[in-house]
Parts: sequence; structure tokens; C-alpha cells
Amino acid sequence: MKNRELAIVGMGLHPWGVWKNKSMAEMGCYAITQALADAHMKWRDIQAMACGAYMWIADQGGVPSLLLGTTIASMMGGTGIPCANIVNACATGQSILREACLAVASGEHDIAIAVGSDKSAGGFFRPQSRDKQFDNDYLRYVMVGETNPGYWAMEMRRRMYDCGTTEEDMAMVKVITSRGGAHNPNARYRKEYTLEEVLASPMVCDPLRLYEICATSDGAAAIIVVPMDMAEKYTDKPLRIEGLAVGSASFGDPTIPLTYLSSYPRPGVGFCSESRNALAAAYQQAGRTPKDIDVIELPDNSSWHYLTYLDMILQLDYGGSDKLLREGYFNVPDGKVPVCASGGFGAFGEATVAQGLWQTIEIGYQLRGEAGGRQATNNPKVGLSQSYGYAGNNGVCILSKAW
Amino acid sequence: MPKKKVPLVEGLFTWPSEKPRLIASRCKKCGTPAFPKSPYCTNPDCEKKTENVEIIELSNRAKLYTYAVQAYPLPEPFKMEPFEPFPLGMLDLPEGLRILGMLTTDKVKIGMEMEMTTRKLYEDEENEYLTWAWKPVE
Repeated sequence: MKNRELAIVGMGLHPWGVWKNKSMAEMGCYAITQALADAHMKWRDIQAMACGAYMWIADQGGVPSLLLGTTIASMMGGTGIPCANIVNACATGQSILREACLAVASGEHDIAIAVGSDKSAGGFFRPQSRDKQFDNDYLRYVMVGETNPGYWAMEMRRRMYDCGTTEEDMAMVKVITSRGGAHNPNARYRKEYTLEEVLASPMVCDPLRLYEICATSDGAAAIIVVPMDMAEKYTDKPLRIEGLAVGSASFGDPTIPLTYLSSYPRPGVGFCSESRNALAAAYQQAGRTPKDIDVIELPDNSSWHYLTYLDMILQLDYGGSDKLLREGYFNVPDGKVPVCASGGFGAFGEATVAQGLWQTIEIGYQLRGEAGGRQATNNPKVGLSQSYGYAGNNGVCILSKAW
Repeated sequence: MPKKKVPLVEGLFTWPSEKPRLIASRCKKCGTPAFPKSPYCTNPDCEKKTENVEIIELSNRAKLYTYAVQAYPLPEPFKMEPFEPFPLGMLDLPEGLRILGMLTTDKVKIGMEMEMTTRKLYEDEENEYLTWAWKPVE
């Protein structure tokens, strides 16, 4: 960042899955202990904290889970540090990491932690109020019956119409990412899928099948940030934060994002503008172009997302990623640019406010060469993580090796 | 006695009506529409004065931009009884808005001309509860 070069020196994960008997606070504490151990730090060393605020409080957890950071800090043992509770839907991970980075880049603090913990498991996401007057999320759900996969399926159908994306392309996404998931101890689904298995899976929202959309899961993650000139005290392998940007949508975006009932498409404004805005800002901060990126973790909520995000991240023509997919360009672990080597959302499932951190941590493992059986074989030096959230939220992080 | 047909949520489309239309808002200064209605014009470069915004009824004709078929039942608060897989789509209206809506049939094609109607979601002892839906123009 502008005032101070920053490094990630500690990363921690709680495995993704369904953890009925663990609270979000407990999972968050576990992720923090892993990150502290990674950075050879104690909890008292942390000077500032940003935490993902839980979104589904009507279903579980209530207000303490909306104030999750405060709850987690209390469980870790109160040290009096500033703790911000932030929610930007599925882009919360990069958003809270940005808060931690701003706290350090400003010079106000030297050690900050971003923590996300989430219990999203339980099928289709649903509105959190019954407010007929002001909650458009409630209205689109009860009046149109639009689920998240329903929205993705509409976008997928249009891409098939515009670009000629095939059923095999959509299924290959799962086949490729599952090769990474099978080797990831933190993934929920650790199995390789064949093309036939994916194509035989039940239709959930035509044209998307069960294995072409992600599950909803529980999980937690934590990342510790320090100034680069202090990093060697904590690690031999600091990860340089080159770009970290959060985007919202632009007026005139033709997308009808989840929770909305309409859009007002304007000439010259591309769809998923929040994602393009975040990408443009992150590339500019980093002084990078798409050809510099060696590994990518993107929001493969569905096969539509995977292909669309590759078009945007690599600045390809609309539909351009289909051809590269068929050529094996994104193969895990041995493509030219492995994508979702972690297994992606297909293997993890969405844990809404925690997933942006997990994706960024996977980039960290890949750059540190610690990804085991899913380690990218192209000796990655620069990686990019991107998350896509409800209602026009997006976060992008670009990391590089700093040793 | 036949049950009364009522919108599940009032104020989103004109009712009762032979030809129901969605109720939206439009900025009198720059023409930007919004559905559902917005108290302020959503154009970032336009004045933020609530008196600039008027209520309008949208066209009941639209062009199908894309569609999908929801095959799995949804959890509450969505209610369709009996549940059956249903198509839904995004439609482009002459006013420039792209809007969501259920479709009456999955025998449709992208680009098809559609007309607004209603469909039943469920009923209780007194009423049938309706939402808006789009059908191919005959």
C-alpha cells in the first residue's frame, strides 16, 4: 500500500465442512491459533483486528454473531484492541483483510489480524427478514423464487447463447478443480470427479447441475499482516501484498445482482462491474497485468462464475476462457495457470464471510510451495484471489513472493 | 364462491387488472427508472431530491434476455403449493429496465416477445395469492 509495504506473515484455517457442535467463535479462535503459530506470535502481540460479521443471523447465532469479532476477541481473552465487525457478503474476506492492511499501512499499528468465521451450511441461502416494504431480497425470493443457483443458471444460459459454451465445458470445470480438492486436507469434498459423473448429476437449476454449483459450508480463516521491514522477525517466507481492492457496482451495470429485482443497462458499462472495478484497482496498485499472474483462486460458485471470472481476470474477450479451458490452460496442478488448485468452492463450499481469506491463504500456500499434492507445477511467484458477493460486492488480492 | 385473487405483496403490480403492469419509479430530470420504486434517482450524476421521482406503470410487453428452470424446491419463506419446477427469467422492457420474473412455460427462447400476466403461488381458505409472470405473446 502507498504508505508502507505490507507482508502476510501468518495464515490459519479451520477445515471447511459441517460443524454442528462448534460455534463460529470457536472456529474463529482455532483459525487465529493456527495463524499465530504460523507467525510465531502470541495473541497479545495482535494490535488491531477486523472480523467478518455473520450474515445469516436470522437463522443462527443472533446478534453475537453479527458482532462476531467482539465475540471471538472475548473468547481469545480481551486485550482491549480495536475490533471492527464488517460484512461485504462473499467479498468480506478481502474487505476485512483490507481493513487490517489499512490499520498497518497508516502507521497506526504494526500487527493486525483479519478473521472470518462462518456457518453457512444448510442449502439455498434465503432472505433474513419478512419485510415486505423495504427488503428487496425478500421480495425477489418470494415473488420470483430466485435462488442463488437460479440466478447463476440464468447467466449461464445467456453465456451458452452468446459464446457457445457447452455442457462439457461446464462439467470440465468441476473435473479440473476437483483434482486439487482431492489433495487438500482443509477441503470438505476430497474426491476427483469424472466428466461422466458431473454430467450425470441431477439438474438443480437448468442448465446447472448439482456438481456444477457449490455447496454451503462452515469454515474459518485468519491472516496476520505486518510491515515488510518487520516481516523477517516472524517468517522466512513473507508474502508481499501488492494489490488489495474492494469494488462495488457501477450505475448502468446490466447485471441484476442477487437481492435485486431489476437493472438499468447503460451503454459502455460491462456486466459484473463490481468485479471489473476491483480487478482494475488491484492491478493498478500492483503495477501488474494478467500475464504476470501464475495462480488464481476465483469464486467458482458455479461453472458460470469460473468461466466468466477468467474472462475478466485475464482480460479475455467474452467467452475466451472456454477455449483455454479445453486446451488445459487452467489444469490443476500442471496447467499454464492453475485455477482453484485448492479445489475451489466446488470442494470447499461457501462459508460466506470466511472464504475470501481462505482463497488468499491458498495463494499463500502455493507461493510458499506448501500445497502438497495440489502444488502448482509452474513455480508460481505471483497469485490472485477474487471473491464475488451478494448485491454487487467484490474483493481482489494480489500476492507475490518476497524472499 | 370462488376465492379472491390477491397479490402476495401489494404495490408491486397493478391489481385488479385485465392487463397488470409492474409499478416502478422514474426520475423526471434524467428519466432513470427503478423497480421496485426508489425514493431517490439512482443515477450518480443526478440530483438527490425525492420530489424529482414519479411513479409509473411499466409496459406489459418485454423481450426475454435469459431464463432458467428452478428444479429443486426452495425453503421458506418462498411458498408454492404444490411445488413444481418452474422457469424464471430476466426480461428487457421498453423503458430500459431489465427485470426478474417467473415464466408461465419453459417452452421459450432467448429474444422471444413476452407479455405480463399473473400466476398463483398458493391459496388459503380465503384467497389465492398471486405473483407476476411472463408468457409468450400468442
